[in-house]
Amino acid sequence: MTSLLQVEPGISVQIVEIAGGEATRRRLFSLGLHIGDRIEIAARGILRGPVLVRHEGSGVTVAIGRAIAQKIIVMV
Amino acid sequence: MDGPGAPTIVFLGQPNCGKSTLFNALAGHKAQTSNFPGTTVQHTHSEATIGGRRLNIIDLPGMYSLHPSDPAEKVALRHLFLERPDLVINVVDASILGRSLELTLELLEMGRPMVVALNMTDLAEKRGVLVDAARLAARLGVPVIPTTATHGRGIKELMEAAVACLDRPCRGPRPVWSSDVEREVDAFAARIPAGFPCISDARFTAVQMIESGQTFCDAFLGEIDPALKRALDETRGRLGTPRGKPAYEVIAAERHHLAQKLFEECATVRRRLRRPWSERLDDVLMHPVMGYLVLAGVMLGFFFVVFKIGGPLETVLLKPLAAVKASIAAQLGSGLFFHLADGLLQGIGGGAAIVLPYFLPLLLLMALLEDAGYLARIGFLLDTFMHRIGLHGKSVAPFILGFGCNVPAIAATRILESRRDRVLTSLLIPFIPCSARTTVILALVAFFLGPWGALGFYAANIVLVAILSKVLSGFLKEESPGLILEIPTLKVPRPGSILLKVWFQLRSFLRFAWPILIAGSVVLGLIQALHVDAAINAALAPLVEGLLGLPRALGVTLIFGFLRKELSLLMMIQALGTDYASLPSVLTSGQIIVFTVFISLFIPCLSTLAVLWKETGRKIALLSAGLSVSVAILVSLIVRLFV
Repeated sequence: MTSLLQVEPGISVQIVEIAGGEATRRRLFSLGLHIGDRIEIAARGILRGPVLVRHEGSGVTVAIGRAIAQKIIVMV
Repeated sequence: MDGPGAPTIVFLGQPNCGKSTLFNALAGHKAQTSNFPGTTVQHTHSEATIGGRRLNIIDLPGMYSLHPSDPAEKVALRHLFLERPDLVINVVDASILGRSLELTLELLEMGRPMVVALNMTDLAEKRGVLVDAARLAARLGVPVIPTTATHGRGIKELMEAAVACLDRPCRGPRPVWSSDVEREVDAFAARIPAGFPCISDARFTAVQMIESGQTFCDAFLGEIDPALKRALDETRGRLGTPRGKPAYEVIAAERHHLAQKLFEECATVRRRLRRPWSERLDDVLMHPVMGYLVLAGVMLGFFFVVFKIGGPLETVLLKPLAAVKASIAAQLGSGLFFHLADGLLQGIGGGAAIVLPYFLPLLLLMALLEDAGYLARIGFLLDTFMHRIGLHGKSVAPFILGFGCNVPAIAATRILESRRDRVLTSLLIPFIPCSARTTVILALVAFFLGPWGALGFYAANIVLVAILSKVLSGFLKEESPGLILEIPTLKVPRPGSILLKVWFQLRSFLRFAWPILIAGSVVLGLIQALHVDAAINAALAPLVEGLLGLPRALGVTLIFGFLRKELSLLMMIQALGTDYASLPSVLTSGQIIVFTVFISLFIPCLSTLAVLWKETGRKIALLSAGLSVSVAILVSLIVRLFV
């Protein structure tokens, strides 16, 4: 288990836990990213930029800032 | 607005599901569409006659769920709860059916008559998702009509179903959750006293209350009905504790599972042989190196297209203007009538000859970027830089819109979740050179110093915005919540949609801005004829002559810069009593730069100030005015010292 920030692009992972506050959790759920879902890291921004994830089931793509990505715990 | 007889139909769906495109196809040229989540920030109203019936149709901002997290979503929720529409058309993106159905399920819980528009079926098929609309309709208990809004497919069928539902309301059965969750929710609903301000019914209100977390309603409820508040907290505890998560998540998970089940039952997913072109293109657009090269290329291209189209077009349009002015002078002499006629001519001509050549190409390019879905990608690419100045990538879209016009840009800050980000972004937008200021910058800086000079001016302007953002964010105590931004699928922009959007913006310019431009210009003519300008110039002389080192006659142009920025150029030429080409004989290039800097930074124009006031309140609007005057003076002084 590691944070989303540690994952390299192209790797597929499963969301284990979202350690953020209520607003963040609600936002991610409503965008279709739920605990247990599999996502792929599609890209990483340069210079400590955001993470781009693609939901493997739906294809929904979401850009997530570093501070939030750090709180998303995933498992390869 | 129509009379009470006409039924109201609202279009509701998650952001970027093609709702506005569908609405446009139906209502004509009303709503704006784009490929950026959350661009419909207020509701659009229209009327239509279908099958001989008059209908009020309303396009609401997209919402992910009935628990809004930004003000644009709140607009939709307020409308849905308070206006109680006769029918909801729930627009669903078939290509991401599982997620879209979560909102559909929430709407079913609310129990308003509903028709589902299964939109983007073409995109879904390309992604290998085939949805069985008949089966979905059977499961949901409401009509499901497949549509492809971009090609106008299925719209007739959709409206036929909608009209049929007005006569015989289509209500699906309420989705059923796990038995223990059902039990708790029903038990709490039964405790809601008669006369409680319920939305829909007690059961729906109970769910809303359990889900609505730490809002002020909770504290309010504790005040007016402590027993009910206790029951609510106990219900939340009994729902959440066994599953080890908060009650709202338990309910969200129930919906998620139901939506996934529906998706599996009603859709077949074929494995794609190859990734769609949009994903492969994204590999380049979002690449850590190539992505930024493309972005730089797009921005440079943007600038040069506007410059290359605008410049020559302006020259062509300005020529007849000078000829007409000469003939007016010959006929009317130089009295009051000449000044009035000249003011009128400059106002009408200035709008057409100076604003349109730059405004139109800018609008076209902006619409192109937005519709293709590139705007959201710029948000991703620039997030890291925005972070360093105290913001995040979601503010990029309002900023870029600001290059067109600050007014819609400030309205677009509603897509930001936190007030802190909205205030900071709204304070910075007036420093973005809008197309009106672009005309001044291009006409003065680019014309006399070349395109690279103008580009340098823009670069310096962006650096200034960054510095201001850094400084201002130091005063804000809260932290920015950070970026969570959906990146929509890349689409080939459709000319029809782009032209519609450009027309929409252009119409509002012609209706609101142009008359002010003409009136302001006539007033200036009057001021000159009555020699009031001397008094204004004398009053402003310490600023204009003393601090800025500009000719005293330019004082009066500052007044008009407040009304409309694009007026300043006309006013400047008029005030100096010269013509455009011979400006360098009156002003040095240093003075031209100081004037341009001051006029572009000082005070947001009247319309911008009005929208700032409306969106962020009086305090922020006044702060913005004060801030821009001080920054304008400070930066102009620095420029004066170095140029």
